[in-house]
Amino acid sequence: MASPSLIPAGDFRTSYAADTTIFPTTTSRNAAIVGIILIGFAPQLFTEYWLSILIQIGIFAIAALGLNILVGFTGQISIGHAAFFLFGAFTSAYISNNSPIPVFFAIPLAGVVTAMVGLIFGVPAARLKGLYLVIATLAAQYILLDFFSRADWFSGGSVPASANPFSIFGYTFRGDRQYFYVVLAYLVVSFLLVTNLMRTRDGRALVAIRDHYLSAEIMGINLTKYRTLSFGLAAFFAGIAGALYAHYQLVVSNEGFGIERSIIFLAMIIIGGTGSIMGTLMGTAFVVLLPESMEWISASLKGGAIDKALSLNTNISFLREIAIGLIIIAFLMFEPDGLAHRWRQIKTYWKLYPFSH
Amino acid sequence: MTMKSLLSTVSLALLLGGAATAAQAQIPIGHLADYSGGTSEVGTPYGQGIADTFAWVNKSGGVGGKQLAVDTNDYGYQVPRAIALYKKWSGADKVAAIMGWGTADTEALTGFVAQDKIPYFSASYAAALTDPEGASGKAKPAPYNFFYGPSYSDAMRALLIWAAEDWKAKGKPGKPKFVHMGANHPYPNAPKAAGEALATELGFEVLPPLVFALAPGDYSAQCLSLKSSGANYAYLGNTSGSNISVLKACKTAGVDVQFLGNVWGMDENAAKTAGDAADGVIFPLRTAVIWGGNAPGMKTVMEISKISDPSGKVYRPVHYIAAVCSALYVKEALDWAAKNGGATGENVAKGFYQKKDWVPAGMEGVCNPSTWTEKDHRGTLKVDIYRSKISGPTDGDLNDLMAKGTIKLEKVKTVDLPRKPEWLGW
Repeated sequence: MASPSLIPAGDFRTSYAADTTIFPTTTSRNAAIVGIILIGFAPQLFTEYWLSILIQIGIFAIAALGLNILVGFTGQISIGHAAFFLFGAFTSAYISNNSPIPVFFAIPLAGVVTAMVGLIFGVPAARLKGLYLVIATLAAQYILLDFFSRADWFSGGSVPASANPFSIFGYTFRGDRQYFYVVLAYLVVSFLLVTNLMRTRDGRALVAIRDHYLSAEIMGINLTKYRTLSFGLAAFFAGIAGALYAHYQLVVSNEGFGIERSIIFLAMIIIGGTGSIMGTLMGTAFVVLLPESMEWISASLKGGAIDKALSLNTNISFLREIAIGLIIIAFLMFEPDGLAHRWRQIKTYWKLYPFSH
Repeated sequence: MTMKSLLSTVSLALLLGGAATAAQAQIPIGHLADYSGGTSEVGTPYGQGIADTFAWVNKSGGVGGKQLAVDTNDYGYQVPRAIALYKKWSGADKVAAIMGWGTADTEALTGFVAQDKIPYFSASYAAALTDPEGASGKAKPAPYNFFYGPSYSDAMRALLIWAAEDWKAKGKPGKPKFVHMGANHPYPNAPKAAGEALATELGFEVLPPLVFALAPGDYSAQCLSLKSSGANYAYLGNTSGSNISVLKACKTAGVDVQFLGNVWGMDENAAKTAGDAADGVIFPLRTAVIWGGNAPGMKTVMEISKISDPSGKVYRPVHYIAAVCSALYVKEALDWAAKNGGATGENVAKGFYQKKDWVPAGMEGVCNPSTWTEKDHRGTLKVDIYRSKISGPTDGDLNDLMAKGTIKLEKVKTVDLPRKPEWLGW
């Protein structure tokens, strides 16, 4: 757990404001603002392929952020996150298809509805711990997925549902170049919201539950309330991300959002760093880019000496799946604190360069 | 700058320039294949067939002097991945045609390909893709969707017609019982309603459907249900991988039922794997002959096969040959487009409407004649029904097994369905 509780010698704060600041220095704040402005030029600079990857990173990062509230900050676990993601996607598609509510409002509404469902599943989950909790969230995954494949009125059953393109005040966003800004706006707002949440009384209560639930209870924190709330928040962000995904793809299918996708969400926050907001984004970027880079490698191998020697032919795609698994194992072994930890180490190294001890 | 670096810079520039000009003279084609997903056991030979055929087309001069740039991608039978790939293909470097695969992804993309005017030649034969104008009112308009072979619904109708005759011929008393089996997925579900409607009309008692997943697994429970339901004819809607599991489990459970396979539900590989459990399965075949069959076009198929198998020893199952036919129809539509205003999606789609009872050049006696019109994308209504016969242990090389006749695909009947307007798109 990459918690900043072990403050190094000489690093002390004299006010609560300094203790809870998001950016330790003015430079880091300006760098973040400049970074966001720069990324705003991405649609003009990047090819559609890279843009689609950036959009995917943005959408999945919002969902992973929700999961990080639950896992990284509250110390719970969920392997049903993909089902909530999909629930948000279907809800937003359903709302915008079957009511006069425009997509602009359907997305946050889908987040709220998904949060309600999350709260329902959070009620039993808040009373369970460890392995029992894992199984309870696994049940949520299967119950929801089964619901999607049967509820024809809601999700179209086994046939993929269609979703309207994103529109605001009669203006329709078409194509990745325009939709990129929608995702960017949601990403920035979500990350600011969660960063600020962690600075509030409620956020600290969640962290207290994670660190020691008994002590937290003795201090007067209502465990059931905050654990349930945590599930609701996780589902809220999953729902928002799912809704964004629905209006990006314009088609919602219940394929590809089984248990393996829930595990991939967990992989994102483990690789990025549990309990790190910045790490969530880094982990998501890593996990989204990993299969793509494996695709490039396997494409370059195709027809080459290795391909021929091992007679891989069409099986070359399995190489990709194997490599992804291996890299995740390697990460858990050699970088258990995630990319956020590595990033801090790199920063420290350069801060002291060339006089690091 | 030294001479060496100067030279290397110049050669690099030449190389880049050369690559750029080569890229301009190419026709981009998208190819969606399932090599790793739920239908990979039939997706692999089909995908290989498409890739080999286009490589062969390139080797023999391309289309209108241009090479085809085929972008083959394994999407693992997942709709989201298919949609991501479609976004790539419909972007800046728009493809002239797409060779698609599954029903779920094809139906999800139907609206997009119509909007972007990209012909989409799928390996899904869902009847919903056959109505270009949506005139039937049973399906959304699918003006840019094409496929080769009878639709799933038409194939199922033909199987039912055979089954009704079979029941009569056997002189069994009472009403025959029919059951649809398959995953709860658009592909097995596609012909369900149409098939069950005809089954009722033909005097079958239609039993509630039985569900089994697209992946191989233990389906003993389904076989026991099948046994206790007393079904006489069971339609297997899935692909061969999971069908094998069902056939084997039902053999063990001692279920006495006539299985009717989907067009993707049985092939030589599946017969070899399932062994005697696959004996007697009835299924439709899209091509007039199988590998090594006696037809003038088989020579072309053998040549195409050498692209990925120079030794010529690999046995190609029925799906490979169907893929060759599919890719060559697209190639000839591209040919027509190249001669009539350039290989754009719109022209390629028109290319499909130019011929009647069309067989691609060099494929005589292999591909069944097909006709596509602006109002009806049912390429063919002729359904050849085959039976798999297994007369011994199926170990060893498939070539030998087929040559010795241990595995035999024998023709049972050809059903020529009427081109009924009420069957369009359903």
